[in-house]
Amino acid sequence: MIWNSKIECMSRDEMRILQGEKLRKIVAHAYQNSPFYKSRFDEHGVKPEDIHTIDDIVKLPFTTKQDLRDNYPFNMMAVPMSDIVRLHASSGTTGKPIVVGYTETDIENWTEGIARCFSAYGLDKNDMIQVSYGYGLFTGGLGAHYGVQKIGATVIPTGSGNTEKQLQLMQDFGSTAIACTPSYALYMTEEIRKRNIDMNNIKLKVGIFGAEPWTDNMRKELEEKLQIKAYDIYGLTEISGPGVGGECECQCGTHLWEDLFYPEIVDPETLQPVAPGEKGELVFTTLDKWGMPMIRYRTRDLTCLNYEKCACGRTAVRMSKIMGRSDDMMIIRGVNVFPSQVESILLEFPEYEPYFFIEVDRVNNTDTFVIQVEVKPEYYTDQINQLVKLRQRLASRIQSVIGIQPDIKIVEPNTIERSTGKAKRAIDHRKFE
Amino acid sequence: MLIRQLSVFLENRQGKFAEIARLLGNNDINMKAFTVSESADFGIARIIVEREKIDSAYNLLKSHSYAVSIHQVNYLNSPNQPGAMAVAMEELCKAGVSIEYMYAFADDASHNSHLVIRTSNDELANQILSEL
Ligand SMILES: [Zn+2]
Repeated sequence: MIWNSKIECMSRDEMRILQGEKLRKIVAHAYQNSPFYKSRFDEHGVKPEDIHTIDDIVKLPFTTKQDLRDNYPFNMMAVPMSDIVRLHASSGTTGKPIVVGYTETDIENWTEGIARCFSAYGLDKNDMIQVSYGYGLFTGGLGAHYGVQKIGATVIPTGSGNTEKQLQLMQDFGSTAIACTPSYALYMTEEIRKRNIDMNNIKLKVGIFGAEPWTDNMRKELEEKLQIKAYDIYGLTEISGPGVGGECECQCGTHLWEDLFYPEIVDPETLQPVAPGEKGELVFTTLDKWGMPMIRYRTRDLTCLNYEKCACGRTAVRMSKIMGRSDDMMIIRGVNVFPSQVESILLEFPEYEPYFFIEVDRVNNTDTFVIQVEVKPEYYTDQINQLVKLRQRLASRIQSVIGIQPDIKIVEPNTIERSTGKAKRAIDHRKFE
Repeated sequence: MLIRQLSVFLENRQGKFAEIARLLGNNDINMKAFTVSESADFGIARIIVEREKIDSAYNLLKSHSYAVSIHQVNYLNSPNQPGAMAVAMEELCKAGVSIEYMYAFADDASHNSHLVIRTSNDELANQILSEL
């Protein structure tokens, strides 16, 4: 089903006109009401009057995650805080998180995006959707929650964790869809098997998976084991949250809701637009987000866009699966991890050398996160317990800052590569293409 | 009495201990005793060499990038007869000294058993053991 066929199936020409009108308005709003954007545009020598059509977007400067950090918490807001009805935040890279504020209209538009996704997955008011994304500062839980209510379905707000209860309610209530990370869904399939749960008691028909990269093999496995159709939902906190785009029944790319979130693909080195269909970095401009507009926000996600009309009838542009990052961020078990975070934590410990190497892999559908470190010579001892404790302290500290527990592997001195230039500090063995 | 022991950090990889044994052997350093204790992914080799060679062994391992350290441990030369060790352990226990680790080695030249004992208080343990 198509939630908003007027928009989702609009001709490309009409869409570009609509985008141009919306861009003019949001740029004028940002310039007039956000000191951050005013000074950024002034530095760049561009005025709202220079924007006529959507093609003029290339005249505007980019925004980055660093801008969000530098303006923490509220300096990027373009409305008085009294007009902000909700805040969300994502975990910080080195200390500070990033904060996003929404007006009532922003929440409505975000929810509209999610409603389009859910409809595209074939869900409607007759469905019962279990939201197993985390609720709270993370956008996943509340975002999906509002989307479920918007399409008139029943929301089961289980949140993340407590798998036993999740599986119990899934059977008792007869959940017809579940929204969670694909790795958590795979973990659930394991638990279903271990507990000998009869698949006849599970009524799921759709899985709504996002917040981390996943592969076609994972899709196949989830679809077989849970007897569902597994769909991608894409989004990021900076742009609003999940529901910036989603797959349709054709599962041939993620439709982006480009009347709300305008996508561009640029070369991450030159920052120039790439030729249509070419791979590059995804950049978003929020065309209808007033609390904290994002103008040409660099997502660092690498992908490509396909503007051909889809077999489902939608003209909304389709994005390929994310093919990687243009920075060194990794998403491990759904959590954003930057090597620079590990570095700054390591520097808090006098016992460790400031060198490390991160190894990420996926074993039995769970991400592994190994950090190799070296202990300084004077801290080696004849007692194994002391090293075990030292290792545990580092693992706990990383868990509390980043949010996931690493395996710390102490290696022999001078094993980790020292390099004066840009050392390769991580390797990701997972395959996402 | 207190003697000095070498401790070498080793990753759990095949042949790691052989590497050290070969290195010491090639440099004419004899290991009188050793033990390896390990966790899941690393181990610590504790090695006793002849007293006059311990510093050169240390420097040799260090120059080959090993994480090596020297610690004082108790050495007990106890008669090889039933109950001899029990007495030593009881005395340490009475004094509130706990054992961190311990290993024994044999010596063809005597009929005594040789024990290396690392305790929570090696100075006190030394005093107690020498009064046995
Ligand atoms: Zn489609």
